[in-house]
Amino acid sequence: MLKRVKLLLASAACALVIGQPAFAADEPIKIAGIYDLSKVYTFISPQIAQGATDYINLINSKGGVEGHPVVYTVGDHGNEPQRGIEGYEKFKREGYVLFDFLSSPVSRAVLPRAMKDGNPMLQTFVGRADAVDGDVFNWIFPMAPTYWGQAANIVKFIEDQAGGDAKGKKVAFLYLDYAFGQEPIPILKALAEKKGFDLQLFPYPLPGTDQASAWTGIRRYKPDWVVHWSFAGLHVIASKQMKRNKIPMSKFISVNWINEVDLKNIGHERAKGLKRSEPVVAGREPVIIQEILNELYAKGKGSGDVDNVGATYYNTGVAIYAIALEGMRNAIKSGASFPLTPAAVKAGMESIQGFDVHGLMPPVNLSSSNHGGDGKTRISEWDGEKWVPLTDWFVAESDLVWQEVKKHSAEYVKSGK
Amino acid sequence: MFYRQAGVHHSNYKTDSALFPIPFDKWSIYTMLALGIFAPAIFGSFALTSYLLPWMIWAGAALSLNLLIGWAGQFHFGYAAVMSIGGYTAIHATLAGIPFEIALILAGLMSMVVGVIFGAAAMRVKGLYLALATLAMQFVVDWVLTHVPAIGGGASATLQAPDMTLLGFKITSEVGYYYVAFGWLLLVTLFLLNMRRTGFGRALVAVREKDYAASILGVNSFYFKSVAFAVSSFMGGVSGAILVFCFYHAVTPEQFTVNVSIQLLAMVIVGGLGSIIGSYFGAAFILLLPGALNTLVAYVSELLGLQIGIETLAHLPNLFYGILIIGFLLYEPLGLAKVYDNIRKYLMVWPFGYSKR
Repeated sequence: MLKRVKLLLASAACALVIGQPAFAADEPIKIAGIYDLSKVYTFISPQIAQGATDYINLINSKGGVEGHPVVYTVGDHGNEPQRGIEGYEKFKREGYVLFDFLSSPVSRAVLPRAMKDGNPMLQTFVGRADAVDGDVFNWIFPMAPTYWGQAANIVKFIEDQAGGDAKGKKVAFLYLDYAFGQEPIPILKALAEKKGFDLQLFPYPLPGTDQASAWTGIRRYKPDWVVHWSFAGLHVIASKQMKRNKIPMSKFISVNWINEVDLKNIGHERAKGLKRSEPVVAGREPVIIQEILNELYAKGKGSGDVDNVGATYYNTGVAIYAIALEGMRNAIKSGASFPLTPAAVKAGMESIQGFDVHGLMPPVNLSSSNHGGDGKTRISEWDGEKWVPLTDWFVAESDLVWQEVKKHSAEYVKSGK
Repeated sequence: MFYRQAGVHHSNYKTDSALFPIPFDKWSIYTMLALGIFAPAIFGSFALTSYLLPWMIWAGAALSLNLLIGWAGQFHFGYAAVMSIGGYTAIHATLAGIPFEIALILAGLMSMVVGVIFGAAAMRVKGLYLALATLAMQFVVDWVLTHVPAIGGGASATLQAPDMTLLGFKITSEVGYYYVAFGWLLLVTLFLLNMRRTGFGRALVAVREKDYAASILGVNSFYFKSVAFAVSSFMGGVSGAILVFCFYHAVTPEQFTVNVSIQLLAMVIVGGLGSIIGSYFGAAFILLLPGALNTLVAYVSELLGLQIGIETLAHLPNLFYGILIIGFLLYEPLGLAKVYDNIRKYLMVWPFGYSKR
């Protein structure tokens, strides 16, 4: 028995040594990805983490970021704020320079600490929407369009479909009735007034399995478009209600949280014509995804199921960490000393210009006052087999969105932090 | 040998009703107290901020709930809502410029008022029906927090806690937060320890055992139930405010969802109904064990060089956690406090175990 343990230990030590021969002298860059892998966000975080791990492994196999290996530690916080805080407190003491929680309650609970300690925190598609305001939230990096921005872009699409004038169009906004679903309402209302289209709200309560009454209302309303702010299995329930109420799939536009699993559950044929707002390209066409397939999965070095590669959330994970590592690269290029300080990482992230990971997403431009990028998305449609983009990357009503951002971030400032 | 009772005899009521008549109990309590006071010097800052501080706060909340469930026998499924009312009230009050000490009391009072209103309505029913009525309170409060921007903070749904000043000291350090939480826990513990030996405490127990019988004995069960709701809600509100100001530093409705209510209930039940030390154990078990198991499983799998996927790695601790809970229900349904009690009873006569028979 003892012999076996010894053997195991010896082989583990060997594996460690063999695993990183090139970086023996270089200090690593440490990133903590503490996710909800067991409770609420399980429909997204495992794929995000797989994408991130693969991308980082690919970069490490090519010599790391400017010669420095990247250590990416994945943990589980079970969507419980106190466990997220525990993880943050632990890893910040171990020299980690970037933190990612991918959960609204946990991000919101860690935010005050990250702001106070001065540690960069990723906050893509979760947590405070106004965190794109880099002037106020110096250490928080959403690096993605806000839900306000996505809503404005969807309205622009509706307008373009109507030949540039949305006047008189009827838009039903269907949403899960809590903070995430309610978020776009002020923007939609402002735009309805400005553009002259008719907006009606159809909330349904948590946990979202009962949408019947909302859909009855939508049937009576006879909308031109149904905009759905929800995620995962709730789309499947919506699709059943659409069938029951005889509303065609082509009128349906979803926020970015719909992926291949949901489509499979709806039925690929049935989902034909479904539209979604897209911040990142899905599928295996992008160069970087091909490279991951050739360099890692073809050699048996993938970090998970190969079927996930190219899926929507997988690509999102690759995109998030490609941006993050680009920030690190900028920091090292500008002469930051090692070990990297949080301040250097922040400066590096803020100097990302025109970075699109070879077409995986619209070019990302960050600055010290804008941590969200340009807010570009595109609308794509499911044709029964794949996502077909209907538009190019675009952004609409930036001023209105930033007005909303500033309004909320001003309230944060007012609380004296 | 340890809990030596020899030489402990009472010649007046005062010593008879002493909190800890057995010297070993007294000294172990003093040791714990000293540990608590000197914790910042003994433990590292990581253990202090990530384990001790939340444990103190949640133990305080569990104790407050234990008053209602363990002593007065009234189930409450919406205790997180009571805490959230405290948290939000304290933040709104301090943002409006009210000193923190008064904001804390306001937080307690507001929770008390809302808690008693729901409690009184629930008083018409008992047992499981009461549990459901209090569960309704959870959802009503959740709804208000997410739908009234003036309270919940609108779309971004987070309110930041301003810096707190307590009794003239500006508290911004880890140690400062710890002492605030520790002080509150001490107050709650002392209150409950003493409540047990007062007429009020005994009346609550009478109501718990059989409210009908209690009222025949002249104990107004409606009055005592209402007071139990009021006191427990007050303490819950203050605990919520302390949680928000000392630990989260921000408040969102998601920090006080129905899951949290169930966790609190689990702390009380796993710890032991009507037991003070049980609430400490229960809070540690429910709050800290999942994280600790997670670390342990990750450590073991790394040690053995197992190639486990991240998802399995995240779910394994849940498996062990479930086994532990079922184990406790099977072998010690009276909770962790009973385990402690068994050990204490065993040691009381050890090494002369035969004297028990």
